[in-house]
Formats: sequence, C-alpha cells, structure tokens
Amino acid sequence: MSKDIKSFQDNIRRTFILFSLTPVIAIVFTAIFLFIFTWSAYMAQTTRDDSRSIAGEVDQVLETYYEMLGDVEFVVSTADIDVDRVTDRIFSILYSKTSDFDDIGNLIIMSQERKALFTSKSSVPEYLTGKEYDNWGIWNRIKEKPNTTVTVLYSGNLYVARGVFRGDDLKYAIIYAVPYQVLADIINNRNRYCIITDNSGWVYLNNTQGLTDEFGQINGILEGNTGYARIGGQKYICYETSVLKGLKVYTFSDINRSTRMILILVAIVAIIFFAIIFITYRSTATSSEVYTRDVKKIEDAFEAVQQGNLDVSLNIDSSKEFQTIGNDFNEMLDGLKKQIDQNRELAQNAAFSQVKQLESQFNPHFLFNTLDNIRFMAKIDAAAADKMIVSLSGLLRYSIRETREEVTVAEDLLHLQFYLNILQIRFNKRFAYNINVSEDIDDCLIPKLILQPLLENAVKYGFGEKEKLTVNINGYQHQERLIFICEDDGVGIDEDVLEELKASIQDPDTAPAHFGLYNIHQRIRLMYNGDYGLDITSKKGEGTTVRLTLPKRIAPGNAG
Amino acid sequence: MKRVRRILVTLALMIIIAAIAYGVISSRGVAKGGAENKVVVVSPHPIEFMKPLTSEFEAQTGITVEVIRCGTSEAVSRIQDGEKIDVLWGGSILSVGSYEDLFLPYTTENENSFYAEYKSAGKALTCFTDVPSILMVNTDLLGDITINGYEDLLNPALAGKIAYASPEKSSSSFEHLTNMLYAMGGGDPEKGWDYVEKFAHNLSGRLLDSSQEVYQGVASGKFVVGLTFEEAAITMLKGGKHVKVIYMNEGVVSTPDGIYINKNASNTDGARAFVDFMTAYNTQFYIATDLGRRSVREDVESSSLVASKEDITILQVDKDKVIGSRSDWISRFMGYMGGGWK
Repeated sequence: MSKDIKSFQDNIRRTFILFSLTPVIAIVFTAIFLFIFTWSAYMAQTTRDDSRSIAGEVDQVLETYYEMLGDVEFVVSTADIDVDRVTDRIFSILYSKTSDFDDIGNLIIMSQERKALFTSKSSVPEYLTGKEYDNWGIWNRIKEKPNTTVTVLYSGNLYVARGVFRGDDLKYAIIYAVPYQVLADIINNRNRYCIITDNSGWVYLNNTQGLTDEFGQINGILEGNTGYARIGGQKYICYETSVLKGLKVYTFSDINRSTRMILILVAIVAIIFFAIIFITYRSTATSSEVYTRDVKKIEDAFEAVQQGNLDVSLNIDSSKEFQTIGNDFNEMLDGLKKQIDQNRELAQNAAFSQVKQLESQFNPHFLFNTLDNIRFMAKIDAAAADKMIVSLSGLLRYSIRETREEVTVAEDLLHLQFYLNILQIRFNKRFAYNINVSEDIDDCLIPKLILQPLLENAVKYGFGEKEKLTVNINGYQHQERLIFICEDDGVGIDEDVLEELKASIQDPDTAPAHFGLYNIHQRIRLMYNGDYGLDITSKKGEGTTVRLTLPKRIAPGNAG
Repeated sequence: MKRVRRILVTLALMIIIAAIAYGVISSRGVAKGGAENKVVVVSPHPIEFMKPLTSEFEAQTGITVEVIRCGTSEAVSRIQDGEKIDVLWGGSILSVGSYEDLFLPYTTENENSFYAEYKSAGKALTCFTDVPSILMVNTDLLGDITINGYEDLLNPALAGKIAYASPEKSSSSFEHLTNMLYAMGGGDPEKGWDYVEKFAHNLSGRLLDSSQEVYQGVASGKFVVGLTFEEAAITMLKGGKHVKVIYMNEGVVSTPDGIYINKNASNTDGARAFVDFMTAYNTQFYIATDLGRRSVREDVESSSLVASKEDITILQVDKDKVIGSRSDWISRFMGYMGGGWK
C-alpha cells in the first residue's frame, strides 16, 4: 500500500477538523432528529386527544337528544298519538333537554302519511313531506331501524330520528333537527382543524378547507385513515374517532408550515456547517501553518545543515518543547563545529609531521657516496677532504638544526652551496652548474631544502655514459608564483622510467620511500593549497627539465 | 483529503438517515386505504345530480362510492386503459353502444318495469334515464333573438355565441349531432349535412371540451345558447339560473343514457348493487320528481318541470345505424370545423 506521507501541518489541520467539527455536527443533527421525533409524536398525541375529546362531547350532546326522543315517544304513546293533547308536555321536555344550548331546535313529529303532527318551529323540510321521499333519505333511515333512534345527515342537516312501530307498521316518527350551532360550537371552541362526517363520509361540520371533495364528502384519503396524510401537496397528521351514534370525528394538524420550518432549519444548519467546514478548512491552513511554524524552522535548519551550512541556529520561543529542541539543536551544531575544527587541526598536525619527516630524509646513498669520497680524498687531497667534511656537516646541520619549515630563497641557496661543493669535489671537472635566481625573490619563503633534490635527481639520471654534466638552476617570479627550473644537458630519462616517475609523483602509494622528487612534490602539496607542485619533462639525449611552482610568500620580517 | 471526504460522507449520511427517519416517523400508519367495500364510478353527470343519489346509495347499502368525473369518451378510454373502474354511469346508449364489448353483460331485476323501448338496449347496456336533447338559452342575453329550433342557430347574430362540445368528447353533443342530422335531413341523416356544415360555420371555431362547459357556459353568460340535455338545463333552472329550455321544433331525439358495468370490474357485486339501486323505483321516482330527468320506468311519472312527451316532436332514430356511423359522423363534423381534424 503506497500512501503519501502527509505533512505535519496537514495532519494537524485534519485532526482539528475531525475532532472539533464532527462531534459538534453529529450532536446538532442528533438534536434536530430528536426534536423532529418528539415534535411529531407530540403532534400525533394532541391530534388524537382532541379527536377523542371532541367525539366524547359530540356523543354526550347526541345522548341528550336521544334521551329527549325517548321521553317524547313515551309522552306521545301514552297519549295514544293524540299529539295536540300533549303539546305542552312535549315542549317542556324539549326545553329541559335543550336548556344547555341556545336553540331548542326543530322537533317534528310526523304521521306515517308524512303529515306533520307537531313542529317546534312551524316548518317542515320538503324531504320529510314529499311523496318521492317516502322511501328516500330520512324516511328510509327511520324505516330501516324500527323503534331505534338513528342519527341522519341529510342535505347538510343533522337529524336525530326515531320511527315508532306497532308490529311492522310505522305509526309515527319523531325527528329532531339538531341546531347547527350546537356541534359547531364544540369544534369552533378548539384551535384545531376538525371535520365531522356521517359514517359514509358526508361532511356535516368542517372548519377547514381543502379536505373535502367536490361532492362535500371527506377526501377519500382521509377516510378510515389515521396518521400522516398528504392531500394535494398539503401534509396533515389526522386522527379519526367514531362516535357510536353514527358520526365520525376527524381532527387534523396542519404540519405544512412546521415541516417547511423544519426543512428550512435543517437546510440552514446544513449550510452553516458546510460554511464552517469550508471556512475552517481555509483558516486551519493558516492557523496550522502558524502552529507548525517551529516545525518548519526545524525542517529548514536541518535542510541547511544538510547543504553544508553549519552557521544556522534555531531560535524558537513559541513553545517550551520546541524551544528545548531548538536549544539542543544549537548545542549539537556547536559541538559538531568544534569537532570539525579539531579534526581539521588534527589533519594539519598530521600533515605537518609528515612534512617534517619528509624534509629530514636524506638519501643514504648520497651520505654513503660522500663519506666514501671523503675517505678517498683524505688520502690524496687533505684540503679537499676537509672542505667536503665541512660542507657535509654544514648540510647536515642545516637539515637537522634548522627547525623552521620555511626559509628564504637566499638562505636555502646559501645552504645549497654545501651540496654543490660536495658535488664539485666529487665529480671535479665533469660537473658544472649555474645558479641564476633573480634577486627580487631572495626574501621569498620556500620550503627548506627544496632545491637540493633537484640537483640530486639531475646527477642521478644525467651522467649516464656522459663525460660532463652541466646543471642550470633558474629562479624567478611569474605573477604571484615562484618558478624554479632545473635543467641539465644529461642523457635524459628513458621514456618508461619517466612515466613511472610521473606516476610516482602523483601517487604516494607507488613511490619509493626515499624518493626525492616525490618528497618535494608531497611537501608542497601538504604545505600549500592550490595548483602548486612539480613538473618533469625529459628528452633522451637532450636532458631533463624539472619545473617547480610555489606560491610567492614574503617572510614576515622582511616585507617591503 | 481522504479524511475530509470521510467527514463529508459522514455528514451526508447523517442527513440522509435523519431524512429517512423523519419520513418513517411521519408516515406511520399511513393509508389503510379507505373503505373495503367500494364502487369506483366514472361519470359525466353533474355533481348536484349525483350527490343525493350516491349519498342515498351509500346510506342504504353501506357501499362507498368513489366518483371520477369526466366526459363520456374519456371515461371509455379510461376503461380501455384498464383503470380501476367498476361502473360507467352516464353516457348515452348511442355513444357507449359502440363499446359494448368493454362491459359486463347484466340484466337488472328492474328491467321488467322499464318501458318496452328501454328494455333490451343491449346485453351489457342498462338504460338509466331518458335524456332528450334540448337547447338551453340564457334569457338575460337572448334579447330579441328568437330561438325555436336548429334553424334559428344559423342566425349570424349568434356566431361564436353557441356553446357546443366536441361530439368526440361529449356524448350529449354527439346526441345533438345525431338529432341535427335526422331533424334537418327530414329523417335521412345524409341530407342533414348541409345544415351541419352551416351550423359548424356559425360556431366560429369554438368547440368545448365537455357537456359541463356547455350548460355552465350558458348559465354563466359566456354563451347565449347551448346544445345540451334536458336534465342539465333543469338543474340550472332549479339552481336559479336565468335559463330556458327549448325543445327544437324540428324534432327532438330522446335517447336514454345508460349505466354500464366494467367487464374488468373488481367489485362486480357492488357494481350490480349500484345498477339495481339506480334503476329501482324509489330512486327513479326521486330522480324524476326532484332531479329533472325522465325515468325509464313505466311506473314513474315525469316531473312537472319537464314538458310532457306529447308536447314535443319526438324523432325516432335507427339506433344501429347511429352506433355504426358514429366515428364517420364525428370526423365529418370535425372536417367542417376546419383545422387539422381527421
């Protein structure tokens, strides 16, 4: 699984969003959810309670009228249907039963021929008297249930009716038109949508709009339906209660506004949260940058160190932890620098001691040859032997006693004379030399005994079969360098030997331990940084040229 | 990025869960689906006509009636489309007769009491009431124009003021078309087309979508005269509208409308009960007395609101020919109306 490693800043940022925002959002939405849940439960509860209590009141009212009809029947039957005789008693029942209501209503007693025997309001609707209604509407309801009080909704009016039968024959009917206001008051007293219908869904009372169809029947969706209903895009919580006496009470809670409010609320909250997420995402970019600035500093410091810059330092004062890290880093860097300095010093020391060792080396062959010559000279020419001994001892003294690493050109030439003396005595007329060093470089500093190996080398390779050898040493200043050239007219060096020599100069590993040219080159390299050193060219039969390049350095005391 | 996305997904999930939970909670106990014993009736009758009848039917039988109101041809196509419909209540025998195979053969027990001419309309057709075609006039708007029959409708003063529904959509309009062809053709429908062409011209391109628009259009004064059926005009009269019924002096075709049980009715028992109830004596008596329709029963007298049949020139039509020619006649009429009618 390859996964991008996130930056510390990004991690901090995401952690912030994850652990600060998500719980808040979750809690808020849970709260909203609980609110909706309890709200809808509450709405359903109140709708049901109202429905039941309205139904109870309606039932109570109808019960009063049912009792009234029973009382009237008793009075009329005992008077043998001679209604006129008992008009006062009927009115007295009517008034006592309807005393709670403002309206006594229309109590009608009809004969079986649909003739009005009694009316409390002197009016009889045509659908009680018309011939075509004999088996229609209210009469039908009365005849369907002999000697039973029924509630009939006809043509928008509510009736409580009772047919009094003797055997199978209808004798008379008592019909009471329930005053509209009585039941209307019950539902109008409540701040609640309510519809009262008969069992077929025909609406008697309605204090709302849009829940009935064009026929005046309650909307079919609501019929027999309890719970949530949607009619023409409108949402309701409805509850239906049946009144035993043939009516149904529906109550509604219009939840359109509430649901819209809830939706708006949820939408607003959602928008707020999305905005917060967006803003947080943006702002955490800067704040996390601030908080992780120290980390960035540390990162930069490490980067700088990796690039080789050790002069950085971490200055952190924003938080204790990072301050400690910063201070430790600085300390560590200081330690590192010290360590590096020490190492450099050690290396220099090592180079110095190596130089010391190199410059103290004299070719033992030279000593051996010289001593052999002195022994020989002592026999034939005591003065020459004496001069050789003096020269050798001067040379050795210079080599051993002189502790300075660098000497002036003049000094070195002076001591080179000892060596030349020895060579002169040794080879007599076979050896000739010319020293031609410009005087203006007399005071320049050069490594001690740097020229001697050049002569030694010329003598070593120059004579061969030759009778006479001439060596010229030229020294001059070229730009800021000192150039010494040692050329001889010797036999030259064999090509393969020359290659070997050149390789030896460059590579210390292959160099023989007491090899003069190598020593010179090595000493120059160790003492001076830069493009300095030794260069050798040779041609068979024509001679050898060694070229020495050194930096121009003036002895401190002789400046100017 | 991944974590941010997870947060967003979590959020979205929470919102969805909340929405679902809300939906579940708020839809608790939804729709037990109304009454069990229900008859679905599709009908072009006016509401005021249907209301007392369905009310009484419901009270007597305990069967709930669900009424879908629409024109006759739409009702037929709804049945053809397999909608859940038990009964087509209304639409003349002449119009619906051509779709007899859509309906369930049924002979009501009440047919014995029918007038002979209404007895055997067809196996699946039961006559409901007798509905003469008439002209309904708005008495306030009529002025000094005299209208006694079809001929008077060609009066240029009435151009564009005649309410007539498309005979394709309204059975009462097709009834009138038939009536025109027979009345103006002197008994031969083919000879009546001259008149129909002029009549169509005088409509000035106004063709209504249902019979309801005709009688309501006249009653509300949008039109001066409308070609409609007797009962609609009587209902308007009873409703106090300033309208007048005119029986065409050229002759009136009086064909019964019917009541038809859908072959695929889901509640055939309820549908049969509905047909029986609507043709029963008490119902027909009530309809004839109070609702201004002529009964198909011999034992029921007509209302005082309607002219007695002796005072009207009744035209007889060849029922089979009318049913057979229906689509031809309609497209020919539509041709006279102009436009791209087929």
